[in-house]
Amino acid sequence: MARSTVGLPLAGLNVVELSTGVGAAYAGRLLATLGAETLLVEPPLGSPLRREPPFLPGGGDVGALFAYLAAGKGSVVCDLASTAGRADFEALLETADVFVCDLSLDERDRLGLTDDGLRARHPRLVSVSVLPFGATGSKSHWDGEEINLIHAAGEGYLLPNGLSAELFPDRPPLKIHGHFAEMQGGIVAALGALAALLADGGGAAGRRVEGQGVDVSIQDAMLAVGAFAVQRYGDGSLEHRVTRSFKYGGVLECADGHVELLTLEDRQWHGLVDLMERPAWALDPSLSDPLERSRRGAEINAEIRAWARSHTTADLVARAQRLGVPMAKYASPAEVVAGEHERARGLFQTVEIPGFGPCPTLVAPFHVSQAPLRLRSGPPRLGENQDRIAASIGATQKQAVEAR
Amino acid sequence: MKPLAGLRIADFTVHAAGPFCTHMLTQLGAECIKIESALRPDIFRKPHAVYGRMGPASFDQVASNKLSIRLNLKDRRGVELAKRLVAVCDVACESFRPGVMDRLGLGWKDLSAIKPDLVMTSVSSSGQTGPDAHFAGYAPLFGAWGALGWLTGYVDGPPVEMRHVMDHSVGMNAAMATLAAVLHLRRTGEGGHVDVGAREVAASLNGEAMLLAAAGGEPRRLGNEHPRMAPHGVYHSRDKDRWLTIAVHSDAAWQAFAAVLARPDLAADPRFRTEADRHAHRDVLDVEIERWAATRDADAAAAELQAAGVAAHVSATIHDVVHDRHLRERGMVIDVDDLEGNRRAALSVPVRFSRSQTGLDRGTPRLGEDEDHVFGELLGLGRAERDALVDARVIY
Repeated sequence: MARSTVGLPLAGLNVVELSTGVGAAYAGRLLATLGAETLLVEPPLGSPLRREPPFLPGGGDVGALFAYLAAGKGSVVCDLASTAGRADFEALLETADVFVCDLSLDERDRLGLTDDGLRARHPRLVSVSVLPFGATGSKSHWDGEEINLIHAAGEGYLLPNGLSAELFPDRPPLKIHGHFAEMQGGIVAALGALAALLADGGGAAGRRVEGQGVDVSIQDAMLAVGAFAVQRYGDGSLEHRVTRSFKYGGVLECADGHVELLTLEDRQWHGLVDLMERPAWALDPSLSDPLERSRRGAEINAEIRAWARSHTTADLVARAQRLGVPMAKYASPAEVVAGEHERARGLFQTVEIPGFGPCPTLVAPFHVSQAPLRLRSGPPRLGENQDRIAASIGATQKQAVEAR
Repeated sequence: MKPLAGLRIADFTVHAAGPFCTHMLTQLGAECIKIESALRPDIFRKPHAVYGRMGPASFDQVASNKLSIRLNLKDRRGVELAKRLVAVCDVACESFRPGVMDRLGLGWKDLSAIKPDLVMTSVSSSGQTGPDAHFAGYAPLFGAWGALGWLTGYVDGPPVEMRHVMDHSVGMNAAMATLAAVLHLRRTGEGGHVDVGAREVAASLNGEAMLLAAAGGEPRRLGNEHPRMAPHGVYHSRDKDRWLTIAVHSDAAWQAFAAVLARPDLAADPRFRTEADRHAHRDVLDVEIERWAATRDADAAAAELQAAGVAAHVSATIHDVVHDRHLRERGMVIDVDDLEGNRRAALSVPVRFSRSQTGLDRGTPRLGEDEDHVFGELLGLGRAERDALVDARVIY
């Protein structure tokens, strides 16, 4: 953990993370990116996330997911099955402001890490639980991976839309790439941790705040971002992946890839007509009515799709931008990494990944004016920061002496 | 008490992502003053034909719990009032296209000059800086720019559009980063500007694929497959368009899964012994599971699999979600009254605290409903002064 965090919003905040899944790990990562010191506590064999594919090229066993989620964190090994390991762990919690944990409720009972137990031993600690279905309620003991959770929250059933739904109407609904739902859980866990730190005027100088438990369910977090479908339900519409599709536009195949086209406003439709160089079919006066366009969406789509196929993505996107038509290329990850806009904004930072070497890594999806957000380091080696345990014990003893 | 009680927000946000950010903060206890104008009604106050709503919304998920005032920002006096309002707030949020707030005289430079200890959050399509900062867009475009759309799709199919969950994830990130800046403010007295770019949020949600690409690897579209787990997928149950999701995450779960299927032959089959074996033969496995699932009730099968230690859940419709016992027990799905007095389901904020309270206290505000409190009490405008501003269409 090399780089300075002076000036960053969360500089000086200590976070201890006990994670096996993406949600809790992403919470720790977001807080670290904002300046907190996040210490990942791992079992002797390392976090299971270290063993999660995909692996970086070169034939090694360096996982891309762990490298992304753990960048900027420290690592200590605590064997929670042993008395000594648990004592070390308790020492770390004693100097922590926030504890993020995704152990199952049964494991917490076994290890004495229940919310009540933690509160009794560490009254100042904000302790954040991240579980698939949360820590309370009839499904709190249910297990859930990404694919289960995105469907438990309703969004899974509603995907895909548009071109994919048309091409493959009989296939199972489709999840969003990667760990979308679990990451929503992580973002909400970070939000909850910060709200708890701010409770009762917390954060102000000299204000000693009582800690509390924060209960985050990945299902809840994913459902929260799907709020629009619940609102539509209240309006009397039950959404379905096929009927949710935009009536026209959407994913268009071009000569060299795909673009997204979405014209919600009238002026954008007229811009599109100009972009297509005013073909006769589009000049039909009845199509100036948005409702008529909606009704004749399939017909419009057939024309737009035929037109798009003979153009390149770069040509279309550049001209669309000039005409005020919302259009974007479906960029591949490699294209985003090499993107000019992303470079100008410092979205990626090259960090050292143990076992692989230097590699550009996405820093954060936000920027703050106080100081540029930078990763302190790449992902840690297992137990790289073991000295933090002795430091915590020392700090706690010093506090005890001073208190006497 | 709610955790953010005492925090006041001047809310200039429009569309989906920005209002969702302040919606989260208000349910955590912030007092959020939504600045509107009859000149440019919010999307929920007018028809939204693209989504089939032909009149104003009787309840708006992201406007509920907010206070509403009218201010015409096209009038210089409206801008002056907006500045006076910001001066008595802790946070200002906006989601116009970059440059719009500057042109109004309400940009970060202007507002931080009035109030150096202000936290300001700007939500936009591509961020406040960079060559594409002027780009406007919607959720599917954010997903396209940020590679999330490219990565999502059937293995042999095209990319897929991201929908509202994309907007709202931007808002959730913005709410979180805003609170980090507020904590910094409380600790140091220093304000700051938070810049959230929606396409960067899309990219951050596939940061591992970005890293793989940057390292020279080749991320690809995986459909419902998982790079490690098998069985892993969405399977059709005995009922029409009713699906069961299953993820077998370990050898123990595999054994339990085969037991639920009453298929000791699968458990003993050398093709499926290790996780790597199962993954290599996932197509063969899927055929077996499809055959089994097609005879089962999805909800009962999910409960049985969970009881055996296998991660499973029905593919829930929004009807299922709204009536889900677990979500109601957690207070995530609640019932509210809309402006017409009808009872309907709504969502709460997805965080529970052991001590602090959260949630909705009121529904969608009427346009200008809270002007007595805001203009009268907070800004100290007299009745005559307010009436004159209404007549002059400044408060409009």
